[in-house]
Amino acid sequence: MSSAIQNSSDQDALLRAGIDRSLRHPVMFFMTSGAAWLAVSIVLGIIASAKVHSPGFMSGCAWLDYGRVFPSHINALIYGWGFQAAFAVIIWLMARLSRKECTSAGIILTAGHIWNLGVSLGLVGILSGNGTGMPWMEFPSFVWPVFLVSYTAIVIGSFIQFRVRPEGHVYISQWYLLAAMVWFPWVFITANTLLHCIPGHPLMAAGINAWYRSALVFLFFTPVALAAAYYLAPKVTGRPVFSYSLAKLGFWSLAIIGPWAGMQKLMGAPIPFFLPYVGAAATVLFFVPAVCAAVNILRTTLSSPAVVASSPSLRFMITGIGGLILLGLAAVWLNLPGSTLPLTQFSLSGYGFEILAIYGFFSFVMFGSVYFIVPRVTGREWLSRRLIKIHFLFSVYGIITVAAVALFGGLQQGIGQEEWQQPWQGAATRAYPYAVATTIAWCFILFSNVFFFIHLALMWLRLGRRSLHPTLLVSDAHHGPGPHGEEGDIDNAGPGHAAAH
Amino acid sequence: MSLPNQNPDLEESINVSEAHERVIREAAACARENRVVDNGIGSISIWALIACGVVLLIAGGVLAGGGALFSYKATFREGYVRASAPGTADSGPVPKEALAAYMAKGAKIYSAKCNGCHGSDAKGNGSTYPSLVGSAWVNGETELFAMIILNGLQGPVSDGKTYGVMPAQGVGMAPEDLAGIMTYVRNNFGNAKGDVITTDMAKAALEISAARKNAGNSATSAELTADHLRALSGAMMDPKTLLDPVTLAPAKAP
Repeated sequence: MSSAIQNSSDQDALLRAGIDRSLRHPVMFFMTSGAAWLAVSIVLGIIASAKVHSPGFMSGCAWLDYGRVFPSHINALIYGWGFQAAFAVIIWLMARLSRKECTSAGIILTAGHIWNLGVSLGLVGILSGNGTGMPWMEFPSFVWPVFLVSYTAIVIGSFIQFRVRPEGHVYISQWYLLAAMVWFPWVFITANTLLHCIPGHPLMAAGINAWYRSALVFLFFTPVALAAAYYLAPKVTGRPVFSYSLAKLGFWSLAIIGPWAGMQKLMGAPIPFFLPYVGAAATVLFFVPAVCAAVNILRTTLSSPAVVASSPSLRFMITGIGGLILLGLAAVWLNLPGSTLPLTQFSLSGYGFEILAIYGFFSFVMFGSVYFIVPRVTGREWLSRRLIKIHFLFSVYGIITVAAVALFGGLQQGIGQEEWQQPWQGAATRAYPYAVATTIAWCFILFSNVFFFIHLALMWLRLGRRSLHPTLLVSDAHHGPGPHGEEGDIDNAGPGHAAAH
Repeated sequence: MSLPNQNPDLEESINVSEAHERVIREAAACARENRVVDNGIGSISIWALIACGVVLLIAGGVLAGGGALFSYKATFREGYVRASAPGTADSGPVPKEALAAYMAKGAKIYSAKCNGCHGSDAKGNGSTYPSLVGSAWVNGETELFAMIILNGLQGPVSDGKTYGVMPAQGVGMAPEDLAGIMTYVRNNFGNAKGDVITTDMAKAALEISAARKNAGNSATSAELTADHLRALSGAMMDPKTLLDPVTLAPAKAP
């Protein structure tokens, strides 16, 4: 290596390290508080799920009624965990790709605290019986302007970094990030002003609400997760993204299809006749951007099986991409107006689809990003390979159970509901075993995420390993037996021993 | 950020390697990173294309399955009656006794047309709106009561007092509506005549109202007592007769 090249690559590494350092506290704040909300959300989810099969469970406490616990569970999952994980990834990834240090860490941290305050007050509002009753928008209506203002304060720096980036190529992840950053306020302002400020016909309000949920998944969580996946895949494997044209196809098909989806939830309701059908067709078509991105990312990574096996980031991310493929298939399978759609409108299936999107796809890609980003922003390596493995295995088994059970059990429940001459008890009996399985699976996921949260909090306290070597999932013969062996000691590894990671 | 190799007094090569070691130590994670490249030119797999094509066909089928997507008539079907479920002999809505069926119709009309002035307890307010409870005209001859509803009223009422002017309510009122509202008021709020004003009687009332001498003006006490102090023609109905609650036609017991 000539000294000039070495010099420039060193400068480059120092620049990247500087960017990481400038974002340490905002990124760690969002990730850690997000992980804490995730655990809270799962606890609420377990209570809600337990009430489905054992209605007497905690029935003495009005604050823990099913009608309050279930919305708290979903809202904590989305606004507590989902958005905060997305913020961490957006601000870090945009700074890295635009090669600009963050100059507004204080503003972001303040806005992040305000966002958390909004989530806390909102949850208290729901649990005390003051929820709005609109799915995914149950927080009392004073919360949404708070969210909007803090969102703006959090991402405005990323817009500026993109604007003043060095001239040249705009990377695929930046397309998706920028799109998500613009689409979210559009969706959020539209839905909230139409529902809170200028309320119209209640049927159309239900339609707008259904559109909001769908748009949040397809136009915010999906692009953020794909941005992270498109970054991690070539970054960790060192291979170029498989196909640039496939990436373009995936991006533009999402941009064109995403906004139309959602209103199929009101199939059969007296809203303009074309809306549910267009919604169903668009949701079916979500398969196209999903499969384009998934094929592209898998073709980029799977040709390096050794790296995939050892890197926690890639393992989580690829599992998330598997979730994306399932989500695309479920979008086709659950939205056929003649057969399945009537069964999913009022059953567990809708919940299964949403959990598959938020946890099975989005969260797994976010976990992958967390395992990649945290060692960089803290300057420490992950403490324990075992903790990562526990997190991975329990999360995977849990989410497969929750999603599969909710999808299939929901269809069973839907069939029970369609038998309108039978008592409603029949539909509940059909859903019973699936509800029990869901409760158990959420317990698995809770177990995994408590360890994830502890691991993350220790990393933020800079109690991670001081080492030149990443914490990999399989022990590397060149670097001793395990994470507590020689690679844990910074002095044992000189320059040049660093493994590609 | 000051780098040690910016010091001009030292050999550059030495400083480069020193700086490199520093990078390795302080930014190890960044130093071992690969560069991101997105210029792959892999060809799009034929299987992915076929899968997308199949999904496009399915989505087209979903849209086409909607039929006339922009047809208003497909959303709001006039005269829609729910089809009976397959395998069941659906005989329409459950029959009701005549009094209950007429009163159910009347309750809707009352809340739309009368409630605003006479109030939900039909007691009026004592000054501009008279009470309907125990009123001699409400509980008296049916033709007189019908004329008041259809044409409104000015001047003194049955108790001799003069309240405000009552506007005519007959515009667009179908015989079923008139029959319903009359039956409802005469059998509710403490009134208990126990008789049903049938649709036939209401039809007769509409004809009489249209043939009034001063049609288009409110009725007055003088006109009512002079011309309309009699019962409407039409067969009386047993209040326990079973009727279809929607059409008010006689129905068989289920």
